[in-house]
Amino acid sequence: MRAMTKPPTDNLPTVKLVVVGDGGVGKSAITIQFFQKLFVTDYDPTIEDSYMQHVEVDGQWCMLDVLDTAGQEEFSAMREQYMRKGDGFLLVYSVTDKNSYENIIHFHTQILRVKDRDTYPMLLVANKVDLVHLRKVTEEQGRELAHKLGIPYIETSAKDPPLNIDATFHEVVRIIRNQPQNDNDKRRKKQGCAKCVMI
Amino acid sequence: MLLPTKNSTNCPIGFQNDFYHEVVGKTKFLTLKCTGKQTNSSRARSKSVDRTKFRFCACTGPRKNNKKSAKWYVKQPTWRLWGEEKADGALYTVYLKKVRYHRPTRSLSSSHSDSDDEISHLEWETVRVRFVKAGTLKKLVEALSTDDGELETTYINVFLATYRSFSTAKEVLKLLLERYEELTETPQNNGRPPETHEQHKKTLISALHVWLDSYPEDFKEPPNYSALGLLLNFAEDFLPNTELEAKVRHRIDRYSREAHIDPLLTPPPAFAMRSIALSGWRNFKLPDVPVRYFAEQLTRMDVDLFKKLVPHQCLGAVWSRRDRSRSHEAATVLATVNQFNAVSFRVISSILVEVGLRVHDRASLIMCWIDIAQELRLIKNFSSLKAIISGLQSNPIYRLQKTWQTIPKEKIEMFDELARIFSEDNNQWTQRELLMKEGTAKFADTVGENDKQLQKIFQRQNNHTANISFGTIPYLGTFLTDLTMIDTAIPDIIGDGLINFDKRRKEFEVLAQIKLLQGAANAYHFIEDPAFDRWFDSILVLDDREAYQLSCQIEPPTNNGQNGKNRKKSMPGHQKNDSITSTSSSNSSQFYCDIDSITSSPRNSIDRKMSPSQMSHSSSNSSLPSLDISLNSSHSGSATNRLQVPLPNNSGTLSNNSQKSSPDFYIIKVTYETENPETEGIVLYKSIMLSNNERTPQVIRNAMYKLSLEGNPDQYTLAQVLPEKEMILPPNANVYYAVNTAHNLNFILRQKKLEDGTTTAGRGFKKSKS
Repeated sequence: MRAMTKPPTDNLPTVKLVVVGDGGVGKSAITIQFFQKLFVTDYDPTIEDSYMQHVEVDGQWCMLDVLDTAGQEEFSAMREQYMRKGDGFLLVYSVTDKNSYENIIHFHTQILRVKDRDTYPMLLVANKVDLVHLRKVTEEQGRELAHKLGIPYIETSAKDPPLNIDATFHEVVRIIRNQPQNDNDKRRKKQGCAKCVMI
Repeated sequence: MLLPTKNSTNCPIGFQNDFYHEVVGKTKFLTLKCTGKQTNSSRARSKSVDRTKFRFCACTGPRKNNKKSAKWYVKQPTWRLWGEEKADGALYTVYLKKVRYHRPTRSLSSSHSDSDDEISHLEWETVRVRFVKAGTLKKLVEALSTDDGELETTYINVFLATYRSFSTAKEVLKLLLERYEELTETPQNNGRPPETHEQHKKTLISALHVWLDSYPEDFKEPPNYSALGLLLNFAEDFLPNTELEAKVRHRIDRYSREAHIDPLLTPPPAFAMRSIALSGWRNFKLPDVPVRYFAEQLTRMDVDLFKKLVPHQCLGAVWSRRDRSRSHEAATVLATVNQFNAVSFRVISSILVEVGLRVHDRASLIMCWIDIAQELRLIKNFSSLKAIISGLQSNPIYRLQKTWQTIPKEKIEMFDELARIFSEDNNQWTQRELLMKEGTAKFADTVGENDKQLQKIFQRQNNHTANISFGTIPYLGTFLTDLTMIDTAIPDIIGDGLINFDKRRKEFEVLAQIKLLQGAANAYHFIEDPAFDRWFDSILVLDDREAYQLSCQIEPPTNNGQNGKNRKKSMPGHQKNDSITSTSSSNSSQFYCDIDSITSSPRNSIDRKMSPSQMSHSSSNSSLPSLDISLNSSHSGSATNRLQVPLPNNSGTLSNNSQKSSPDFYIIKVTYETENPETEGIVLYKSIMLSNNERTPQVIRNAMYKLSLEGNPDQYTLAQVLPEKEMILPPNANVYYAVNTAHNLNFILRQKKLEDGTTTAGRGFKKSKS
């Protein structure tokens, strides 16, 4: 299945992205839309590489490994466990759901706490912008929150035709690449899995 | 014909295994055939697929007589996708199936082997088989009996397990009965032979029986039971004095009898027992507890919930699309999730709550949980196992480096091995594999390549207990995500408004696994122990903010040490922002980045107060409060519900030690005074944290949240219970300084009463005290 892309073969840097946000904000739709190119007719969520894909961002290839725990939002006790694994985060809310917007700050705080850092690669994703009539959170409010959190903002729609889905994932990769290097993270990763090579 | 009725859960494991392989394998196999896609996951299941081919053919093939005679075997037909076929209101996938018949050689079992020399005297033929891919609801109901008038097990199982995502019980029932009537009214239909015609009718009735037996709750709709009524009328008209009529009549009688005893009005017996048995029982105190026994009791709790789980409530269309008003539709799933969180939170709080513990003693608490986790692995309870691992890996525990450092290496290895089971790598591959291997095995014996400690444990287990047999409790979350993803990825409707039944087949693969494991869970037999339940309920539960605060008191954040080093190397903040702008502007104008205001904005309390340059010099004391402020302000925001799942009732007390050693906050017990006569006399209290800047409305809000009360905090009062009287807190007091710490920190939350209020304040409280 990987023949569709032509990345340089082995030892690509792996980038782990974690998608967070309330239930029902369309996280899964964003993830699926991004990966669906690989599964044109059939989709099997249990396959090992369902959520892995080679991508080329700004001329550099990497292996994207996306963790989307859609459906498990209410297992709140395990959230920090998977946050620890992420190199970068998509903080997703739905523009039709004010609560999901207001909860973003909790995810943001929790990630920083888990990472024990004052900043971390994150992108604020305002999803479902296609539902113009149901929109409850304006673009301005979205940007204001992003501003407050000090992270970039993007508007998406996973409906056909999708808006900014690829751009979202690519942007997080850029944010991760552009972040200040962290020696500790690097070391921990090498222990964890051999295939991970930091950029 | 193997039908998964409710009773099938009582069948021996071997049977379930077969059933499981049949349904899962069959759907899987078909999907693979559909796409011609060989995936990694099919590797692990190829064996079951092979067997399925045989079974599949055996029950739908045209040579039924051969099967019965047992002289000939049908083995491994080759399938070829022929194409799709459109008919009125339906879309079919058509296969050409090459069926080989061959004489059995040595024994029955040898026919399962793959050696080619068995196929020496073969005969074969090609048959055409079609499967419903999509259709109108009417067509899908008609397809409950196949073209030949057969009852096709897989189809009806898939249909009954998933129809709720595209229809309702009543609608399906009406169509089914209409279909039967239609067949009755036009006896010689489409030139079919009359036997087939009768067979169709018979099959529809069988389908009804299967439905009634396997999903009785579909018909339980008090007070009118209109679906059953409909069915009764039908049975009286068309099938008087038959099994169906008797069954329906009996069902109506039973339901209306049960309706008089509403289980919601009487508290469950276990609950009553817990509150009565307040003394005279043995007390558990971590870490000196029997770990195997604890694992068994946790499993007993999980087994109860897991067996009650209604698999179709896990469907993406039900679970992940539900909103507040429809949350009851997934009540059994939610109950499982709540139990998982309850275990995790107890792990976290039991380790943190005694702030003054010596490092060594806290380490032994962690080790105790690792030991319990290890036992859970042996019992194959992956739900509580993951809950404990999650608790130990939650930030407040994980960050206690000094504590972890004192734990022996072997114990840490064991913990790592257990944690590896739930690694997210390769789409949870480890966990999926393990469930495949051990799902219906009698006991645990699967080790990973590097699992030294687990290997030892398994060996010891096998030496000691040869005859044990356990079921398996899965971690439900993985299934929920898979079903959510299927629901998102595959459209409900295809073509000209046809219901996409292939999607339902896909979903059923997951549901069938759950059902199978539910059956296997009958192998557990652990007796309920009220003393354990009491212990479980007595553990204080902290929310993530409180847990983090405690954790920071135990081991203050070491930002300067660990991360300061890195920060020296890091680029100044504005450069980082520059690079974002440069890349984003070249690609998309959607990205938002306002460099100047970020660095200068006074409102950026979280990030900007701790810019890298400040951070490396700031003390831990100055960084913590700034974090606290942001946490508190967000906590008081309107929407905290989603972050903290409400826990089951009755979580409660804490040990006294925590109070003396923690000067920045108190832990107080809040009882809610209710007028509900059912709970009168039962003391329900919740422990909440009271920090030194919280005023009355905030404390009331926190208490309401813990007690799952909704409404306006202004309508409640909070009073401390003192030996002689109650002290009602002023509306806007700083509660931390207002409380009387010379006495126990017991509080009463009660709703403000109107003048004409019928109940007087304090009544319920006095009763409960006496």
